[in-house]
Amino acid sequence: MSRQSRENQKGLTVKDLVTTGIFTALLFITMLLGGIIFAPNPVLTFYQPLGSALLGGPVLMLLIAKVPKRGPIAIVGILIGIVWFATGMHWAMDIGYMLGGILGELIAGSKKYKSKVLNIIAYICISLGATGSYICFFVDRENWCSYMLEGGTAASYIDTMNATAANWMLAVILLGTIVIAALSGFVGTKLLKKQFEKAGITA
Amino acid sequence: MREINLDPRTKLLLLVLCVLCTMFAPSLTYELILVGLVGAVGVMSGKYRYAIMGVAAYGVIYGITQFTIYELSGTWQAILAAFFGLVNKVYPCGFLAGFMVSTTKTGEFMAALQRIRMPNQIVIPFAVMLRYLPVVREDWHYIKDAMRMRDIAPSVKNILFHPVMTVECLYVPLMTAASNTADELSIASVTRGIENPGPRSSLVEIRFSAKDVVAVLVFLGYFAAGLLRRRGVV
Amino acid sequence: MIEFKNVSFTYEGTGEGKVEDLNFTIRTGECIVLTGRSGCGKTTVTRLVNGLIPDFFPGKLTGQVLVDGEDIGNRELYEIAKNTGSVFQNPRTQFFNTDTDGEIAFGMENSGVPGQEMKERVKNTAEDLHIERLLGRSIFSLSGGEKQKIVFASVYAMNPDIYLLDEPSSNLDIDSMEDLRQHIALLKQQGKTILIAEHRLYYLRDLADRIFYLDKGKVRHIWTGQAFLNLPEEERKDLGLRAAKYFTPSPGVADKKETVFFEVKNLSIGYGKETVLSDLNFQAEAGEIIAITGHNGAGKSTLCRNLCGLKKPLAGRILWKERECKEKERLKNSYMVMQDVNYQLFADSVEHECGFGIQSPDREQITDTMKQLGLYEYKDRHPNTLSGGQKQRVAVAVSMICRKEILIFDEPTSGLDYESMCAVAELMKELAGMGKLIFVVTHDFELIELACTREIHIN
Repeated sequence: MSRQSRENQKGLTVKDLVTTGIFTALLFITMLLGGIIFAPNPVLTFYQPLGSALLGGPVLMLLIAKVPKRGPIAIVGILIGIVWFATGMHWAMDIGYMLGGILGELIAGSKKYKSKVLNIIAYICISLGATGSYICFFVDRENWCSYMLEGGTAASYIDTMNATAANWMLAVILLGTIVIAALSGFVGTKLLKKQFEKAGITA
Repeated sequence: MREINLDPRTKLLLLVLCVLCTMFAPSLTYELILVGLVGAVGVMSGKYRYAIMGVAAYGVIYGITQFTIYELSGTWQAILAAFFGLVNKVYPCGFLAGFMVSTTKTGEFMAALQRIRMPNQIVIPFAVMLRYLPVVREDWHYIKDAMRMRDIAPSVKNILFHPVMTVECLYVPLMTAASNTADELSIASVTRGIENPGPRSSLVEIRFSAKDVVAVLVFLGYFAAGLLRRRGVV
Repeated sequence: MIEFKNVSFTYEGTGEGKVEDLNFTIRTGECIVLTGRSGCGKTTVTRLVNGLIPDFFPGKLTGQVLVDGEDIGNRELYEIAKNTGSVFQNPRTQFFNTDTDGEIAFGMENSGVPGQEMKERVKNTAEDLHIERLLGRSIFSLSGGEKQKIVFASVYAMNPDIYLLDEPSSNLDIDSMEDLRQHIALLKQQGKTILIAEHRLYYLRDLADRIFYLDKGKVRHIWTGQAFLNLPEEERKDLGLRAAKYFTPSPGVADKKETVFFEVKNLSIGYGKETVLSDLNFQAEAGEIIAITGHNGAGKSTLCRNLCGLKKPLAGRILWKERECKEKERLKNSYMVMQDVNYQLFADSVEHECGFGIQSPDREQITDTMKQLGLYEYKDRHPNTLSGGQKQRVAVAVSMICRKEILIFDEPTSGLDYESMCAVAELMKELAGMGKLIFVVTHDFELIELACTREIHIN
């Protein structure tokens, strides 16, 4: 028989792509579940990236363990970006996920997907994608809301915006997301060791 | 009236235009008209109920937003204004996306993505993901039943007092099932020739027609109008 | 024509399912059934023909598999796919699309069949297989049997010369199996070459031209279809094979007791406003094994969920030891072994699984139960690495340790060979002997005959 088994092939096989698709679906659902408590609530909406980062760590850790090759992390980021785009979410979040995925891919790939710490950092990168729309808000706060004024002037309104949504909030969102994503990724590596390696479902 | 089914590529393009419109929206009234346009697309696709509900819901949001800006003050105004700022930016796109997803089949999506030269490394995982989302829901019901029979229901109490156990109960069967499905689905795909490097055909033929051009022109025109308005030209 | 020349294959990392020195020829238009115990290598044979070995399953391969004189080892999987169609066991994991039309067309799309021709072929396929009513549906609205028909249609639409069916009946009820039988008959009529790896043999009765019996990776017997039907029952059982013909099971009888252990009165069940089953009445004794049978969609699984307290009945009462027993109490005292038992295994070893979620588990009882069920030697293994039958036993062990008194088995023998099926029957009898009440949802007539005291047919 002349052909080689495809386990030894370098690029992504159909099996790798299918696995990536399935785990992206799971990851997407964890983001949805984690974010749903925050997003529709005016007071908490800014903390949605924290919620979205909470549950997905184990999913990405297992995906990396199953397909330790160049590609899946970036694909996950791009797909999630596309889905959020296709469900009409803010463009900065869509692009955030895509960039986060690509960045994560480069970081985790630098140690051939074997370093737990770098894999967790890859998850943090993806999770930070959700903060894109909030960064947009804080960068250009006045513009964000002024279109709602129909060109009228409500200076008091802009002032209160500045006073309440202070810049420290952005720091909380970013740092909070990093901490929670790190925690989630850490739980993922533990679960991987305790369960999935033993269960024989890693590559 | 006969339903008009737009080319899936047109739908993607409309969505991009819709995102651009909201990005550069000059005013709230502009958003209101945009939602109206999206509703018209919905009516033409035969989704009457969804279109009417969607426009009506936006009407409520529009009202609350107005109220927030002109009637409230202080912290609540700021919080709500920030929130509705986001809602307003997202709503028209989400509304349009709803039509898109409900009127497009997996095969159409795949054909459209392949036509716009998206590589297989994106198209295949994308199609698999769409197909797997409803499965997660089914799996979840089975897992919940199994947990309840062992008195480890996924309740708030258990999540707080036994977080490790609850996490295992959720993740282990869910990811084991995902892993098995990945193996079996890839086998079922390769034995039906998914790796064929030749051109793929599509059961649902996708082709641009006059109605696609009209839809794109309307949205494009509206986007241009928004830009001009924003610059203060009109 | 398919030729195996000195073919041997061992999977990487495991001896399970290997084949040794296979030499045989299958003529064009023949219908071959591959059978034997679990792990005998019958699935491996199909994988050698569709090229999944060595492409997908790595291992050590020697010898040649020739299809129409050509060594398939030199061909890519997608080339083989044009001429060889494969249908697998689990209909839930085989579809790629979310709509039925798209799924039927999937294989044709991959090989680039033009749009107009494809439309016609989808239509003709639906007509040939009598599944017109399934067209234009969402895959998620279909039953398991209907999904399997769509998978079959997807392969049929590609019009291959060779069909490989790997345990296609595992998840099917008796009606769907009859449909499958007719589909295979149609293929035979068209002169296709058919290879079926299967445990359940009766539905293939007069379709099989030859039956290959594999044991530990070698072909031990080859019977003609007729010779197999005439095989003495004892010999068939010794070989670990399922019944060759259908028979109507005649369940035994249970002794009447003084008090009624379990009673269902005027029960109506369903979801929301939709009633699936109404006015159900029956009594049951401890130590009974009751088969619940009925067509797909008759409400068997809904009934189970109601019996074990996962769901509230729409109307009616359930009595246990002669008093009313509400959902919460039923949930505490009953346990269901699910059809896909993977959903109910959570821990990282068999031993931990047995004590999982219990506040202060009784170590001794856990050890005893594992020994009783033959699981002790696997106590440190991860449940996911066990066979299907062993996983079921782990679930049963859990129910015993939690002292559940009512047990429900949902299709416990789907995809099991004769000996494993007998083992399930023995296990249920043992549990019944301990005074537990057992319900079993099944359409396995051999199991009903062997184990059940009674049959409740719902309609």
